[in-house]
Amino acid sequence: MTWADDGNNPMIHFNGVTKDYDNQTALRDITFSVEKGEMIFVTGPSGSGKTTLLKLIYFAEKPDRGTISIAGWETGQLKESSIPFLRRNIGIVFQDFRLLHNKNVFENVAMALRIRGAGEKEIKARVYETLKAVNLRHKADVFPRRLSGGEQQRVVISRAIVAEPTVILADEPTGNLDPDTAEGVMRTFKEINAKGTTVLIATHNRELFRNSGRRVIRLDMGNLVAEDRT
Amino acid sequence: MTYAFILAFQSLIREKWINLLSVLTIASGLLIISLALFTVYNIDAATKNLPERFSMILYLDNDIQKEKVDAAVGILKKNHAVLSVRYIPKDEALKELKTTLKNSSYVFEGLDENPLPDAIEVKLKKDSVGQETVRKFAGEAMKIPGVKEVDYAEKFLSTLNYLRVGMKTIGLILIASLGAGIIFVCYSTVKILFYRRNEEIETFKLLGATKAFIRTPFLVEGALIGTSGGIVSLLGIFAFYYIVLLRLSVSMPIFKAILFPWDLFLVLPFVGTFLGVTGAAIAIGRLKY
Repeated sequence: MTWADDGNNPMIHFNGVTKDYDNQTALRDITFSVEKGEMIFVTGPSGSGKTTLLKLIYFAEKPDRGTISIAGWETGQLKESSIPFLRRNIGIVFQDFRLLHNKNVFENVAMALRIRGAGEKEIKARVYETLKAVNLRHKADVFPRRLSGGEQQRVVISRAIVAEPTVILADEPTGNLDPDTAEGVMRTFKEINAKGTTVLIATHNRELFRNSGRRVIRLDMGNLVAEDRT
Repeated sequence: MTYAFILAFQSLIREKWINLLSVLTIASGLLIISLALFTVYNIDAATKNLPERFSMILYLDNDIQKEKVDAAVGILKKNHAVLSVRYIPKDEALKELKTTLKNSSYVFEGLDENPLPDAIEVKLKKDSVGQETVRKFAGEAMKIPGVKEVDYAEKFLSTLNYLRVGMKTIGLILIASLGAGIIFVCYSTVKILFYRRNEEIETFKLLGATKAFIRTPFLVEGALIGTSGGIVSLLGIFAFYYIVLLRLSVSMPIFKAILFPWDLFLVLPFVGTFLGVTGAAIAIGRLKY
């Protein structure tokens, strides 16, 4: 299974997508697109549907109505067995980090490459390079529980970017970080985006995108209420 | 594949107590199977030579002519089930009887003439000593001219048959039930390990891991648990041989006759591997993830 991006399709396209959980609507009739190489923000209060929207993009959920296409792939027509291969083109920064606490920082980041079947030499080179980029090279042998919240967040970012995916999804990436660390994390995302990677950040923190000039999609109670530039 | 081994080894060490318990349970099961096989093997070996001693006696008509005897012997020798044929004239039979009963010679007092008939002793080939084949042969022998009666140890044959079939059945039931038990132990262990690593597996999936990437370490772990169980049971059976059998044979020579099939037991680790992989495969095949 290969990434089917031919350059003509938007990287992400939602068309009238609705998602319900036990008769409660998490997202209602959402339509929007994200172009290749774009960096956009999805914002809204807690429970507005930001995380559900990301889950739909990385195939953790299926829409109840409407269609989603990622780089030309219609998610409704995807076989279950194809999902892992498509996920390899998406780097995810989870809100709850999802770090492997029985593995050190190096192994956590390396896991993204091991899953893709990379060789040991390549893994070593790329993991150290990525850790260096987020200033965590010296913490490679440390286990996640011994890291601060900001350091853990950077490990998650390293794991998301190490395989050089086409799309990065970040769910509240600065949620528990102090302003300085949050700024550092955002700088990292901008650098990744500058290299051509599509970045979609879900956050309720308006400071992250204020005056950024980036497109912002605003959700409220599952509805897309506004789409503008800041 | 190499990484699957690393993950499996890491899990073996991390979950050492549950894995140790599984290994010991599997080892106990395989040890019981081995001891059952050991018993069946020895009983089979002990009864294997019994058919060689089995013979049938064909009693002939009184005052049968020599030509008729020769003809009967000729017919019997042509039969593919027959190993040997021996004609026993009635005088020789009486002589043999007297030798056998020399301590009870009063039995023959007042005996004016030989009451025994001429007879033919027939020994069958080992493969032909079975309840059905002997019965069939006896029927055929009765049709030979001059043969009055056929006598053989029917009870001996049926006992031998029951003993063999019984031991094989008990052995098979034991192997099947304990084998299933071992598979269930591996199945349960892998299932528990899987649930304990549920969060980790969920993360692997979200990072793009295929089912094969997730499943292989569990198969390897099942194989390692099964193999370890097999090795421990092998050590157990050797300990049984060296500590129990050899010591007993010093004080009780009858134990020297017991056979110890080394080659049969050397496959135990492989049997353990097979059962371990089977249990793990069933476990991960039934899991929804």
